[in-house]
Amino acid sequence: MNIFREVYQSIVRRDPLSTDKGKSELVFLNVWLHIHPAKVKKENMKFRHSFYLGFITFFLFLILVTTGIALMFYYRPFPPQSYQDMKDLQFVVFLGPFLRNMHRWAAHGMVVCVFLHMCRVFYTGSYKKPRQFNWVIGIFLLLLTLGLSFTGYLLPWDQLAYWAITVGTNIGSYAPFIGGTLREVLLGGHSVGQAALVRFYVLHVAILPSLMILLTIVHFWRVRKDGGLSRPVWKLKAPSTAGLVTIGTSADAPLVPTQAASTTKTYGLMEVVTGKPIFEQVTPEEEEDTVFSYPYAFVREAVTLMATVTTIMAMSLFLNAPLEELANPAKTPNPAKAPWYFLGLQELVSHSALLGGVVAPALMVIALLVIPYIDRNPSRRPRDRKWAIWLFTAFVVVNLVLIVVGTFFRGPGWALVPPWVHVVGRPE
Amino acid sequence: MERRLQQLFFALSVLALLLIVAAAHQANTPSWKTFQHNYHVLEAQGEPNEVTKAAVLATPPEVHQFMLTGLQRVDRCTTCHMGVEDPTMKNAPEPFRYHANLGPHVPSKFGCTICHGGQGLATTTEDAHGKVEFWENPLLSKDYIRASCGRCHKEGDVPGVPELTEGRHLFETQGCRGCHKLNGIGGTIGPDLTGEGASHRAPEWLETHFLTPNALSAGSAMPNFHFTREQAKALTYYMLSLTSEDMGSYYSSVRLIPGPEYGRKLFAEKNCITCHNFGGIGQKAGPDLAGVTTRHSQEWLDEQLVNPELVYPGSSMPAYDLESNERKALISYLSSATPADVQQLLSNKAKALSPQDVAIEAGKQDFARFGCVGCHGTELQGGVPNPNAQGGEVPSLLHLSDDYTKDEVLAVIRNGRVPPIDNANGPPPPLYMPAWKKVLSDEDINRIADFLWSKQQKKDAW
Repeated sequence: MNIFREVYQSIVRRDPLSTDKGKSELVFLNVWLHIHPAKVKKENMKFRHSFYLGFITFFLFLILVTTGIALMFYYRPFPPQSYQDMKDLQFVVFLGPFLRNMHRWAAHGMVVCVFLHMCRVFYTGSYKKPRQFNWVIGIFLLLLTLGLSFTGYLLPWDQLAYWAITVGTNIGSYAPFIGGTLREVLLGGHSVGQAALVRFYVLHVAILPSLMILLTIVHFWRVRKDGGLSRPVWKLKAPSTAGLVTIGTSADAPLVPTQAASTTKTYGLMEVVTGKPIFEQVTPEEEEDTVFSYPYAFVREAVTLMATVTTIMAMSLFLNAPLEELANPAKTPNPAKAPWYFLGLQELVSHSALLGGVVAPALMVIALLVIPYIDRNPSRRPRDRKWAIWLFTAFVVVNLVLIVVGTFFRGPGWALVPPWVHVVGRPE
Repeated sequence: MERRLQQLFFALSVLALLLIVAAAHQANTPSWKTFQHNYHVLEAQGEPNEVTKAAVLATPPEVHQFMLTGLQRVDRCTTCHMGVEDPTMKNAPEPFRYHANLGPHVPSKFGCTICHGGQGLATTTEDAHGKVEFWENPLLSKDYIRASCGRCHKEGDVPGVPELTEGRHLFETQGCRGCHKLNGIGGTIGPDLTGEGASHRAPEWLETHFLTPNALSAGSAMPNFHFTREQAKALTYYMLSLTSEDMGSYYSSVRLIPGPEYGRKLFAEKNCITCHNFGGIGQKAGPDLAGVTTRHSQEWLDEQLVNPELVYPGSSMPAYDLESNERKALISYLSSATPADVQQLLSNKAKALSPQDVAIEAGKQDFARFGCVGCHGTELQGGVPNPNAQGGEVPSLLHLSDDYTKDEVLAVIRNGRVPPIDNANGPPPPLYMPAWKKVLSDEDINRIADFLWSKQQKKDAW
């Protein structure tokens, strides 16, 4: 018996979880969990503050990695075998359709959740000092998500994939001076072909996921180093009303104000560095408002994980990922559409290639990147930042409207056709 | 709250587990397994005793497939159609019935979809039969399956499929190439037909289109050729066979089915009779070929045709560059030929033509082959409707010499021409004269002009 005990103790070195020390050690003696603080602020666990969008995005990424690796066992990045592999997944691989569906829906879900997460961070003003740089990293993670989704889009090698990537890379080629070269480097030629498929495959399964993981690590690390999750805005509004009640007085007697030992308690590496740390200052009342991560934060994360996984699994059981006919360079669908998240861009391109395909998206990305540095307003309260909120909302709405128009209101020849009008016959 | 969350976590975990079980169940009970079970039940009925019966019923389910690298396809049809190669299943109900009359087309070499259409990779009825969105090659109906023969047998007669020969003949003689390109040769007014059979148009569509071109494509420039129902069907067969697929070497080697007919053509083409004789008919430089197939084995003859010097060192017979099917055809002709037939071949050759006649005849053939007859008619009479062109139809070519010099006519053939418009506000006439200079050699164009000039009639002399 002793040997088992010894083995167990060599793996789990913490004190029992019934003790506070054990609860702390569970977190910081564990390489996977120590990204969490041992204790979290209660208010930060409020669902209506963050909607757990960051977690959901991360869990979707985990689903994508898992199902993606499983799919790699069945995939050859050579046309037309790639398409045959899709058919094999559909018809003869055990759980093949389920795996592919999960990968597809999780991918779309991730694009949506990254975007929503960004909106949440903006609306709560959480990109402000000291979190500016983490916002920048977040924007790069958004771009990486789009890149991963876009490169994965080509891999099934069906008509949908082929023409979406043809249109998508054409949009990129409108960039002055470098556009053509950029497209050529990405495709390994002048049109989407075998070389393009291999390049997209390598980007999709090696380069972009590696960058994604690296930046995710930095993103999480910065969350901790910048003082944890931002405080809910409603907490900012409420000035401290904490007070002491003198025992024996009537209920409506005035509270005796608390006397803090110091008004700005700070943490720092004593005797190693001097000066104040850069992160938000924590007042004593706040510190008392914390609980151990185990089990409070972990159970919430676990529920979020399972909710994400079951949602994707349920979708995958009933909704099949699209697979059209084998890619045919000689047969252009009309209209040929980019993946949905680029349809806003394609809509802009249809009005002006240079303005819509290059200037507008470049400005958009640059604007997103510099937001934390040009927004000099220190307040995070919505009523203090009406302009910022209006501008960002306009940005979101314009993007959504463009995507909706591009997706549902564009028919053959990119003509404006409402989705309820049925276009008869296929144009020759 | 915390308790609720733990319960929620537990419930979600159970749900996830259930979903996995459901997915596994779904993956584990495909419809083909039911078909296989039913087939084994059918098979077991024929078994003599309980033990073998039980053994048949216990056959584990598995996907059957033909990997057809030469045809670039994988056919899994026999996963359900299990009795295709089992003659005892002659009267079995579908999908288990035996496929009679396969001849040399064994499924292991040809699969199923190359003839029948459908989606070979699929393992559910709907998908496999290809009647689903995004699979454009559904099962061909019984009436049109034989059109698929033309996918490999691209030339000559296919036994049992006269429609293909007829369709090909109509295509080359009715002037289809005037507007349509096929394998790089032809006009540009109509769509290129090189891969028409792979464009996945329903056979019924094609047939209706040939009977009344305007019925399905409104405003189509294609004239109504007043084809009979049979001719329309023959053309449909031919169209369906034009898939421009990249066939493996074996499959493309049977473009022509080796037979005496084809052998006879080769015998004449290669001028065998200039050296050989057949029962005394012909020349004596080479040996008499009558009875040669009884004197030597097939293999010997085949070798002789590949490399004569290997068999007879110093033989003066040239090594002909014949494909193995061509050699088979020649040998089969030699075994069936008679001196009278060879005599006829010789007399066909003897008809001498003046160089002038030869050029005109070649011009006539070009005129038909490159599709000029499609609009201008086999007798140069014109008359195909061309709305809003002056005269409303394609002009006759019988009176060219009244209005044009030969050089002007040559220029029109080379550069093409848009017909003068009747009503300037109306739509442009659908038919126009394409430019042929990039398609035809100057020699061909000159020949065509020679042919036209040989047919000119003077208008009423006054």
